[in-house]
Amino acid sequence: MLPATYRASLFYLLRHPWQLLLAILGISVGVAVIVAVDIANSSARKAFLLSMDTLTGQATHQVIGGPRGVSEDVYRQLRVDQGIEAVAPIVETTASIGEARFTVLGIDVFAERTFREFSTEARTADTEDKDPGALITRLLTTPGGVLLSQSTAEELGLAAGEYFDVIVDGQFHEAKLLATFGNDDGAGRLLLTDIATAQEWSGSYGVLTRIDVRISDDAGVTLADVEDALPAGTRLLSAAGRTRSTLEMSTAFMTNLAAMSLLALLVGLFLIFNSVNFSVLQRRNLIGVLRALGLTRRQLLLIILAEAGFLGLVAAALGVVLGLVLGEQLVGLVARTIDDLYFRLRVTSIDINTLTLLKGMLAGVGAAMIAAALPAWEATTYEPRLAMARSTLEHKANRMLPVLSFAGVGLMTGAVGLIACTNTSLVAGLVAVFLAILGFALCVPLFVRFAARIAAPAAAAAGGTTARMAIAGIASGLSRTGIAIVALTIAVSATIGVSIMVDSFRGSVSTWLQQSLQADIYVGTQKSVMAPELVSTISALDGVIDGSTRRLTSVESEDRRTQLRVFELPTASYAGFELLDNSPEQVWPAWEKTDAVLVTEPYAYRFDVRAGDRIPLPTDHGVQQFLVAATFQSYDVDADSVVMHRTTYLRHYDDDSIDGLGLYLADGVSADEVVAKIESLGANWPGLYAASNAQLRSESLQVFDRTFVITDILYWLTLGVAFIGILSAMLALQLERARESATLRALGMTPAQVGGVITVQTGAVGVLSGVAAVPLGIVMAWILIKVINRRAFGWQIDMSINPGILLTTVAFAVAAALLAGLYPAYRAGRVQPAVAMREE
Amino acid sequence: MAVFGLRVTVLIALLVCGTVPADDAMAPPSKLSALLGSQADPEFARALQPRKFSFPEDHGPHPEFRNEWWYVTGNLDDDDGRRFGFELTVFRFSLAPTAPDSESAWRSNQVYLAHLAVTDADGEDFYVAQRFSRGALGLAGADSSPFRVWIGDWEFSAQQGSDAWQLRADDSAVGIEFELAPLKQPVLNGIDGLSQKSAAPGNASYYYSITRLQTTGTLRIGEQTFEVSGLSWLDREWSTSALAADQVGWDWFALQLDDGSELMFYGLRSADGDRDANSAGTFTGPSGAATHLHAKDVEVDVLEHWESPAGGIYPAKWLLRVPSLELALTVVPVLNDQELFTTVRYWEGAVDVRGTRHQLPIRGRGYVELTGYARESAPGDSQ
Repeated sequence: MLPATYRASLFYLLRHPWQLLLAILGISVGVAVIVAVDIANSSARKAFLLSMDTLTGQATHQVIGGPRGVSEDVYRQLRVDQGIEAVAPIVETTASIGEARFTVLGIDVFAERTFREFSTEARTADTEDKDPGALITRLLTTPGGVLLSQSTAEELGLAAGEYFDVIVDGQFHEAKLLATFGNDDGAGRLLLTDIATAQEWSGSYGVLTRIDVRISDDAGVTLADVEDALPAGTRLLSAAGRTRSTLEMSTAFMTNLAAMSLLALLVGLFLIFNSVNFSVLQRRNLIGVLRALGLTRRQLLLIILAEAGFLGLVAAALGVVLGLVLGEQLVGLVARTIDDLYFRLRVTSIDINTLTLLKGMLAGVGAAMIAAALPAWEATTYEPRLAMARSTLEHKANRMLPVLSFAGVGLMTGAVGLIACTNTSLVAGLVAVFLAILGFALCVPLFVRFAARIAAPAAAAAGGTTARMAIAGIASGLSRTGIAIVALTIAVSATIGVSIMVDSFRGSVSTWLQQSLQADIYVGTQKSVMAPELVSTISALDGVIDGSTRRLTSVESEDRRTQLRVFELPTASYAGFELLDNSPEQVWPAWEKTDAVLVTEPYAYRFDVRAGDRIPLPTDHGVQQFLVAATFQSYDVDADSVVMHRTTYLRHYDDDSIDGLGLYLADGVSADEVVAKIESLGANWPGLYAASNAQLRSESLQVFDRTFVITDILYWLTLGVAFIGILSAMLALQLERARESATLRALGMTPAQVGGVITVQTGAVGVLSGVAAVPLGIVMAWILIKVINRRAFGWQIDMSINPGILLTTVAFAVAAALLAGLYPAYRAGRVQPAVAMREE
Repeated sequence: MAVFGLRVTVLIALLVCGTVPADDAMAPPSKLSALLGSQADPEFARALQPRKFSFPEDHGPHPEFRNEWWYVTGNLDDDDGRRFGFELTVFRFSLAPTAPDSESAWRSNQVYLAHLAVTDADGEDFYVAQRFSRGALGLAGADSSPFRVWIGDWEFSAQQGSDAWQLRADDSAVGIEFELAPLKQPVLNGIDGLSQKSAAPGNASYYYSITRLQTTGTLRIGEQTFEVSGLSWLDREWSTSALAADQVGWDWFALQLDDGSELMFYGLRSADGDRDANSAGTFTGPSGAATHLHAKDVEVDVLEHWESPAGGIYPAKWLLRVPSLELALTVVPVLNDQELFTTVRYWEGAVDVRGTRHQLPIRGRGYVELTGYARESAPGDSQ
């Protein structure tokens, strides 16, 4: 049996189911967003690590070569001449089965046994004729024979023994599923096959992607043994380091996502505070009665906190469940973006770690308690009789306003200071964002009071007494409306900030594409390289007057992977590079003639180099120093790139292949016609594609837009959270004012008029929030663009404020507020004056 | 990574035996019968009738046959009289009758497997290592001229024009590096080298031996190196199928006697425990003259047994009698535990021989191979 006081608390809650529901909903949604983003991020990260783990297996090190790979002769030397057993050859390529993309891992089963254990765990029950016996024989003797993970095979609707098409480098190959294996987590996007098949598909005869090496006490081989046996141009790198540098490619993306989740957390916290605060404020009378009956302050505080804790617990638990569901949806989006931009990724299992759940629970319970503590403490500080008076509270709230605003200005100053004092710390940038938001939020109530005072006479002039009542009511109920407005303001400003950031970003990318895409037509191939005959055929097409060649590759050293872009360009297209720290007269001759390179802005930012510095790059003849001729602007996905002239590249790398062409057309020649001509060559050259300048630009922007789908979704969620906040605030306000409404009705107002007061009030809340959100949103956008993006990606983005964005978001805030006011307005109109007035 | 249920041995068992131990329901009667069973592609060549052997060419590979092996065993001592035995075997398997056509150097139908075993009689230790590779890219292979059979850095080789073979194999625990000089010419077993293994035509192998090779070199156990010398025995056999369905294994004896003669005998065992009528042997006199022995010519009594800790009861002491040669030999393993936990679990070990020939005492050493006795799966064989 609960003590009477706790029962009072419980029954109060049960008598106000709407209040209870909204409080719980508010907390739940806030917790859900936090949990969902956390799950999405950690699932993607874990899936990546698992798949790397699967691919790397027990390898401690990997031998890699130049841009073309490692000669398979190196492998023979290691194994036969040096007698090193703990090495395994790998030929890796990418294949598509329908829409899904896979990593093809070509292995030698005989070398595998100490490396990738799952590859030996083929499920014998699922082999073609239920006879596992000849599986390895089949793998070795069936060209195109592959193994898939069990769940992938099911997803593709394939059974052992069935044939299917795979596309590698734009060419169709027939594959046959020999068996399935059980490691679904790490191998969801893996096609395991014999090394010969992998070579036949990728055409990389004589070359390995890498040689896995296992250095361990029992392997009987030392790092020095392997290193000594390696020819120049090959390098032995630690497997863990390679995994790290691959993961780093997507780090910036993940960090941005985490920042979004923190934003959601902040909005969620406000919402929780909002919900609980109302449920306590609501009971000022009850609290007064209890105090009058002799309950001590401490007892009262405990009751309120216990209730909030309990509410928080129930709601947070619900939120966690909701978060799990939401998280599953988000994971798909996150994984897709990473798969699009960085590396093959399929998330097969949702990573739910205790920390995530704990974080969600803590945010829910903690915020509920903190939210309750403030008003509870406030209520207990009054004399019992006074506590019953609502006006006492508003008085106090009014007195607090300047203090709050002062603190708010302090926090915002802190944010500015933090940005000014730190240069590269992303965490500091994020903290600054939150300080700015928090500081601004504290100033909002003061703004609302002023705004309402100024607007009230105007409202009276325009809409008579009802309108005046509605507007003035916002200021007089500030302890409640204030928080609702703050929540909506933050949500709207987040929307504005992120929208401006994305819009500016898109604008910069678009301008950059316009400038950097200098050729009229771009030709590429899905094969890794273009055949020389193809290059000369295309260059000789009618209407083509000049051309550029491109080779994209990457070189790895122990601590980083550097994207290398190799170009030979007509001098006219040098204008496509926006040089940031050196003059063209100095840059171009050096770039053409000497060991000088250009680096992208993100590269320069990340590795802290500028024009005149030297950077080391591994070449086929060992590590060489290259002069940085200039930094240039680039929003390319492979953000950290080094651009090298083809002549320089040929001096240092034994690789004369070309993987892309830029074509310059004579005046009056239609790009579309030449594109069509090139595409008609595709019959003889599978995988060949060509795009006009305009096409390429629009495709690039499409990829860009897809990347920011997640951003969209997150701010819709944020707005959803704010919407619930307004709904609960308005409902609370209306419930509290039941007597007031009843009085108005008794005085002769129609239900529609009473409802109208509420509607005007909520509309005004929307307008006020929207107006307050605009400056905050712009400040947030500035920080996101100039601080967060710069620090995360190294990009410099020109900020542009599109008035359309501001108008639509403010309009949305008003619409959301009006929508949230509909039900309270309806209820207020339905009040039976006699009943409501009798209630107290 | 243990969660993935590593079964390395499964992989290899799959490869050579076509069977899977442990949790897969259809356990075969014997891995060996599957290995050497008769379900081979009809495109493979078969041992149907006697052929003309020529050396050194026939030391090289015969890839048109499904399986083939180079089998060297030997008994050695160091200068202090410390006793060692060794086995170095390379198996070749054709996965398909013809080599596939591909631009990839990895595409091959040839697979090689090698076992190295060293018996340290005084230390009462037994060491085993194995290697596998496809016969591609120079990773493993066999050439006849100059003779070389290799897998990784393990190899049998000979200089052009020389009879002497070099053997080299090294693993973390043991290593050998020997020079083998034949003291006798190759001996053709069976009928002129055609060794019938069951009644079905083609269930036979081509089989020859060099029964006495002077051996010198170094043997390493851990950090310790021994200069050793003694006698080795080479067995060469190739076939496409050699065991009938009801044959479960064999007992093979290769004994070198101190009067300069050698006795080889293999007893094929049927599922019902009887000796198969196709069992046979060869007696090589001191001059190198060979006498073919039929199943009925040789009496084998098992005097003692040894139970493997991993399951299975092996014979561990024999009395061999060849009445027609007035030969009676007691054969005793140097160590009981010379069982190889390799792909196919079998026993292959050094033995001591004492007995009489023409009623006069005679001594010797040799090697015995026992297959098809392993009953349960070995440790590490299962998950």
